[in-house]
Amino acid sequence: MSTTAHPPSHAILSNGEAIEDLVRAEEGLISRRIYADPEIYQLEQERIFARAWFFLGHESEIPEPGDLVSRTCGTDPVILVRDDEGVVRAFLNSCRHRGMRVCRTDRENVSFLRCPYHGWAYKNDGRLMTAFAEDHYGEGELDKDELGLIPVAQLDSYQGLIFATWDPQAPSLDAYLGNMKYYLDIIVGRTGGIEIVGTPQVWDVETSWKFATDNFTDNFHVFSAHHSLVELGMLPNNPDFAAHGHMIVAEEGHILHLTAGAPTEEYELLGLPPELRAKMREHLSPEQVEMARKCAYSAGTVWPNFHWLQLMSSGTLGQRDVPFLNLRLEVPLSPTRTRMWSWLAVDRDAAPEFRKASYETYVRTFGPAGIYDQDDMENWEDCTRAALGPAARRFPLHHKMGIGRPVDDSWPGPGRAYAGAYGEMTHRSWYAAWRTHMLRDHAVGARTEAAR
Amino acid sequence: MSALGRRIGDPAMTPVLPHTETYGRVLEFLHHEAELLDAYRFSEWVELFAPEVEYRMPVRTTQFLTDGEGFHDVDFFVDDHATLVTRVKRLETEFAWAETPPSRTRHYVANLRLQEGDDGELAARVNFMVTRTRQDLDYQLFTGQRLDRLVRADTDAGFLVRRRTILVDQTVITNTNLSVLF
Repeated sequence: MSTTAHPPSHAILSNGEAIEDLVRAEEGLISRRIYADPEIYQLEQERIFARAWFFLGHESEIPEPGDLVSRTCGTDPVILVRDDEGVVRAFLNSCRHRGMRVCRTDRENVSFLRCPYHGWAYKNDGRLMTAFAEDHYGEGELDKDELGLIPVAQLDSYQGLIFATWDPQAPSLDAYLGNMKYYLDIIVGRTGGIEIVGTPQVWDVETSWKFATDNFTDNFHVFSAHHSLVELGMLPNNPDFAAHGHMIVAEEGHILHLTAGAPTEEYELLGLPPELRAKMREHLSPEQVEMARKCAYSAGTVWPNFHWLQLMSSGTLGQRDVPFLNLRLEVPLSPTRTRMWSWLAVDRDAAPEFRKASYETYVRTFGPAGIYDQDDMENWEDCTRAALGPAARRFPLHHKMGIGRPVDDSWPGPGRAYAGAYGEMTHRSWYAAWRTHMLRDHAVGARTEAAR
Repeated sequence: MSALGRRIGDPAMTPVLPHTETYGRVLEFLHHEAELLDAYRFSEWVELFAPEVEYRMPVRTTQFLTDGEGFHDVDFFVDDHATLVTRVKRLETEFAWAETPPSRTRHYVANLRLQEGDDGELAARVNFMVTRTRQDLDYQLFTGQRLDRLVRADTDAGFLVRRRTILVDQTVITNTNLSVLF
């Protein structure tokens, strides 16, 4: 039963189903088919992963000229590097000759990258400096000026967060982030700047990337999924403990929660220590400070797959909750396998004691060994396995919570805000954005090459 | 680099050779510990750790050997005794879903190299392998090297672990999560 009379051919799957019918976001019904279907996955590669803006890393990870980290832009491997002039660049991690990976470590400091295969050598700004056996090429056979490493189509940063896209026609990062910047400022710009602690944790989960993504805008799983912590008294024994605050739908499918904690001063202003609270008042507007004052926890998604988790928790019985800022990325490896990236960020001005407490709390509670996070992965994997069968796919998943709840017109910030922090309006907005991207008829790869 | 130094051995300590009683007792302790983990006897397992224990698993990256072995000051585990007890108590609830129903694990320790300091502290290096199966799924494998500092103790097990550094071989943990203990 198609809701569209005559969808264009690119919007129809091989069995005749319309993409539009799989994501009935306005009704809160999402087909299980979208999560782990190989055909959907292939379409996502062109329509989402070759098009959207993706988080590559933070400027503090590559502070010195020549600093380099291996990352992914969309699903393509890239080198994120600061060149000798201090310019941050990102290139496809693949030699122009046979396509060998030119960077084969996770991080290093380099002036040149030499391809192991035939020895082609690139400057850290991407230029091809030497190829092998150059005198064996005839006139016009080797145009080194045209054979530099392939740069991402656009690269830009906001508050030190570096994003890139493979689509030269994508809107600028500034336009893409749009009114989400207002909320990014509260989280990463709050005290004048954050920095990454060390290197990210990376691990693979046998899940559709979308079940992981879905979980990052979901407050109401906590009481059940993390019930072991309720049992231990490390989370309130109150099913509504994370139900207060606002859910906000920003532009381009970006979404977030600002969630209240216990009604004490400790849980105000993201739980940050006093010296950082003072900085917040310098760097945020009074309106933003007031939002942060009512907020202990925040989860946000820069569409499609980059998240922040600003949380207060404890990894140890009897110890008080400590705030930390976790940055997260899911990179799909296949329809049913996803690489998780997790960074700890701290305020540049944070005192050593706070850094240590924040770091230990983050590692103990989040990441693959975290006493919270490890249970989430169990859910995503089993949701994925259960989405594979032909019968299961006839029955859509349920995303209806708060579907009739009106927009809170009194909310002073940008975007559409809804009162309460339990609801699925942010989920539905994310899936609606997914549908919008998946219904675009773009041959981005061809255009990218033509634009070079 | 510092990790590489630790792996080669502490020059201030004396090798303890396999035919000695100390070596045999430490090996038995390590086997006992592995058996407790595989038998879900976590509350007995955690009693093998000294109150001041530091239990860490640093994150590893792929780097050139000239840049070191790739271990970082960021960890997958950064636990003290109270945190290990918290993990154990969590596993004992009915709601620790990553291990409920539980994984089946086998902990193997091998290649024990043992040294003793003047103060009686023992440095035990082993290669470890942990296999895990969950539900009806295929095997998952965790391997690496473990660096323990042990002290003799008046307990049934005979020793307490006062420092454990778990050096995983993987840079990307390809096994869903680290809900098993090492």
